[in-house]
Amino acid sequence: MGMRTMKRMPANAKIANRLFVAAAGLSASSPILFLLLITGIVLVQSIPALRWMGWHFLTGITWNMGSVYGAMTVKNGVTAPAGASYGALPFIVGTLASSAIALVIAIPISLGTAMILAYRVRGVVKSALSIVVELLAGVPSVVLGLWGVVVLAPWVSSALGPFLTHFGPAIPFLKGPVGTGMGLLTSGLVLALMVIPIITATTRDLLERVPLHYREGGVALGMTNWEVVRHICLPHIRDGMIGSIALGWGRAMGETMAVLMVSGSAVNMLPHNLYSPISTMAAVIADQLDSAMTDASHMAVHALSALALVLLMLTLLTNLAARLLVNRSRGSRRIDLGVRV
Amino acid sequence: MGKSIAVENLRAWYGDQLTLKGIDMELEANRATAIIGPSGCGKSTFIRCLNRLHETVPHSRVEGEIRLGDEDLYRMDPVDVRRVVGMVFQKANPFPMMSIFDNVALALRLNGIRRKRELFERVEKSLRMAALWDEVKDRLRDPATALSGGQQQRLCIARALAMEPDVLLMDEPTSALDPGSTLRVEELIEALKSSYTIVIVTHNMQQAARVADRTAFFLNGELIEYGDTATLFTKPADPRTEAYVTGRFG
Ligand SMILES: Nc1ncnc2c1ncn2[C@@H]1O[C@H](COP(=O)(O)OP(=O)(O)OP(=O)(O)O)[C@@H](O)[C@H]1O
Ligand SMILES: [Mg+2]
Repeated sequence: MGMRTMKRMPANAKIANRLFVAAAGLSASSPILFLLLITGIVLVQSIPALRWMGWHFLTGITWNMGSVYGAMTVKNGVTAPAGASYGALPFIVGTLASSAIALVIAIPISLGTAMILAYRVRGVVKSALSIVVELLAGVPSVVLGLWGVVVLAPWVSSALGPFLTHFGPAIPFLKGPVGTGMGLLTSGLVLALMVIPIITATTRDLLERVPLHYREGGVALGMTNWEVVRHICLPHIRDGMIGSIALGWGRAMGETMAVLMVSGSAVNMLPHNLYSPISTMAAVIADQLDSAMTDASHMAVHALSALALVLLMLTLLTNLAARLLVNRSRGSRRIDLGVRV
Repeated sequence: MGKSIAVENLRAWYGDQLTLKGIDMELEANRATAIIGPSGCGKSTFIRCLNRLHETVPHSRVEGEIRLGDEDLYRMDPVDVRRVVGMVFQKANPFPMMSIFDNVALALRLNGIRRKRELFERVEKSLRMAALWDEVKDRLRDPATALSGGQQQRLCIARALAMEPDVLLMDEPTSALDPGSTLRVEELIEALKSSYTIVIVTHNMQQAARVADRTAFFLNGELIEYGDTATLFTKPADPRTEAYVTGRFG
């Protein structure tokens, strides 16, 4: 009898455990609640603009508030100033193109840097280089934007752009004119600079965690350093890298200030070459919110909300796609072990 | 065909710690040589010098001379050295993200063997030599991690053999295996040693007696005694060797 009471869990331990489980559950579900709440608000705010434009919101090229101080018209049950048209295609294309360029540049550079950090340098050089990468992650985007305007854009306009136009005959998108340097390429470069530290830091950590005996296995077969990274380490870290690339991509698509400064703020046009002015969804939202407030019908604000909705969806989609890629590779081979609390 | 190895005054450091204190040793071609000695005496360090893996350790250092056949090992490109001096590790380390086939085929592909037929033949030959073929021939596309520990170790042997090395280094290849798998690996060594120079580190003296023609006893980074396996175990010249092989220390 005495032994049995000894073995029973004390009441306060039980209560504490219930509290812990409840609190953990609450904290765990709060990101989902947040996400739902934000999506919900943005969605509700977007509906009038989406009704006004229909599918043309995604395919239209003209973004125009109409005559804000003129007469109102009614279409599809919603009211907006006469001539209002919200076609987001140039901003969607601008966002996707600039972030894609950023990734194309950032992935190899990040991988190379991470490889060097993880496997080649040691001691002081390693910490110094790591600090530089971390500092780069901490540079405020407005500073990067300023640097983009003052240094990068002139360089693109006078050196990089003219050089790339030599490949115009092979790849028409690289044909000139190069213009002022404010545009797609410069945006992509600035974004790459913001994405590099994100991908580098994760990739370095992942590479460092590849078990030594696998790498030695490759080295002992007479593989070069690069072959070991390419054929043994990369398959190992693939899932994590996809995740960090998705993270970087999301960052690039959502970046506002720096892009606003160097994009050339194109309106009502699609980029026709690598140097064209562009605009991205995030930049347009930040740029136009002020003037959108002057629209008494609120349609301009709804349109910007719809833009935000598209951006949100694209970001979620990239993350979802990354997740799918990761899960597909995992298949059924691995079973997670652990204690469920 | 196997090549002989001549080691002269080999010294190896980890940081400031001198771990091999001047080893002189001739390893005969097409023979199996066992390295025995207590834990920490430098056996692994020694054979890791023979394929220049030691120098990949941070802050490590090597001095002395190693001749492979008539070439100076430390004048060769380390990548080339490792193509002719294969290694099998204590812990089986098949590449986990690859299939059984690709584990063996990878290094071949990197060496420019692209034609499917030739690749397949080389993989099959290596797996047969490693006495693994019959167990895996119907599941070559399965992940290597689906194999048992003993099979994984034989896969690693096949992987090393696929490169057709002159020398095969084995660092306690059976220490994590059950008696059955151990026996198969020992039979394998027996079969391979006519055409490879084999160096095997082992803590198992019966194993050394079974597979090795010659045996070397290491102690504290020094080569204490080296000779015919039978002689070393039955009539050791050095009292320290005797103490070790009779189990009085280590
Ligand atoms: N990576 C390393 N860094 C620093 N010291 C090391 C390292 N590897 C080995 N040593 C040291 O070098 C000495 C020899 O080690 P080694 O691994 O060659 O011994 P061993 O004879 O193979 O032992 P075991 O039978 O336990 O495998 C030991 O004192 C060990 O502590
Ligand atoms: Mg060892």
